[in-house]
Amino acid sequence: MGFLNKLGIAIGGYAPRNNAGTLPHARQHSGRVHAGAVAAGPHREPEMQETTRISNGLKEFLWNLEGLGRGTLLDLGPAWQTTLSFFIERGFRVTSEDILRDWSDFQKKEQAAPKESLTADDYAQRTPEALAKKFLTENLQYAASTFDALLLWDVLDYLEPTLAKQMVWHLTEQLRPGGVVMAMFHSKKPEKFHRYRVMDTHTLQVLEAKAIVPAQKVFQNREIQDLFGRFRSMKSYVGRDQLRETLFIK
Amino acid sequence: MWRKEDGNPQASSEADSGTVNSTSSTKSGSSAAAPLAVSPRATACVSQGIKIKGELAGSEDLFIDGQIDGKISLSNAVLTVGPNATVKADIAAREVVLRGRAEGKFVATDRIQIWNTARVQAELKSERILIEEGAELHGRIEAGKVHATSSVGHGRKGEVGKAKDSSSTDEKNSSGAATAGAD
Repeated sequence: MGFLNKLGIAIGGYAPRNNAGTLPHARQHSGRVHAGAVAAGPHREPEMQETTRISNGLKEFLWNLEGLGRGTLLDLGPAWQTTLSFFIERGFRVTSEDILRDWSDFQKKEQAAPKESLTADDYAQRTPEALAKKFLTENLQYAASTFDALLLWDVLDYLEPTLAKQMVWHLTEQLRPGGVVMAMFHSKKPEKFHRYRVMDTHTLQVLEAKAIVPAQKVFQNREIQDLFGRFRSMKSYVGRDQLRETLFIK
Repeated sequence: MWRKEDGNPQASSEADSGTVNSTSSTKSGSSAAAPLAVSPRATACVSQGIKIKGELAGSEDLFIDGQIDGKISLSNAVLTVGPNATVKADIAAREVVLRGRAEGKFVATDRIQIWNTARVQAELKSERILIEEGAELHGRIEAGKVHATSSVGHGRKGEVGKAKDSSSTDEKNSSGAATAGAD
């Protein structure tokens, strides 16, 4: 049997199947292309690769929301049917805003603005603080305590640190007391840009995508604690891929 | 005595009433222009090459494959933005199907469908939103049932356990051991 395996021959023949039967670690780090889930669309990036990832952070996130009944969720990644359906089926009202795309568009718009005859005031409006403030007045405009849950994904790693700080403050206001945030932080600068979508209660699909914005910062634990200083608790799960899934409870 | 006409009551009744349908007239070889069979329930259509700027309102289904710039309000009806359409509008309908280029604010009481040919830059609001893989979508989405009374973050099932967890993790955090490997 072992000899046959070495030759790449297995008894019983090959039957394509999903990752459900594999060990969690193998599933997480095999880096296999999840061909079964690839769907072809005319605008789809042809090189987009999908892998799955066991997410203890998601499991805990859902556990915290269990029993909530009708909740409101803000998803700061792109809108995926699987994620929308997953939460809508659980009675959530989901708001989805691709904040990295918005930030990228905002930056392009700012850079395209005429640079000649800039006054001192104009320069003052272009400091990172001023730009972050301007961005937040144009985006994420929700009333205070609107959401019960927030999916932040790894967005903060890709934002200007000033904006990241202001955004967390802004989002904290929009989260109800007891609200839950799930964020991800890379332990080293990510080589590839990924998007995430929820597959089931403990599995995320990781999609390799064309980078919209470059990675900006690798947050240390202490910095993360400072960022979310207004939250009463924090819990992190570190995967073997060094991606930290962190939960914050307001 | 049995007669041939007796065995075909329908034919006899038609003959009696004197009605002539279009098929019978064509069979008879008449060259008179028969009226086109247009159903009064056929979907209204703004076809390719037509541009409309302004406000559209109605209560019947509408298919747009042309260009619209303005406001569309279809109460209890389906609006389809066709694959060749370019729509820049605020839309309110029972159901919105997006297959072409669309920009604006779209509200559907029932659902919004986004096909993989769609290129959408919009604010979408509906109870159900269906996004086909490959659709290009920029903007904001609000999906799910509108909750009449806002839920409060207290009294959840996991609240007690959470409090326990939080105290333990807070301790970990304050001691500098922020992360706990659990994978």
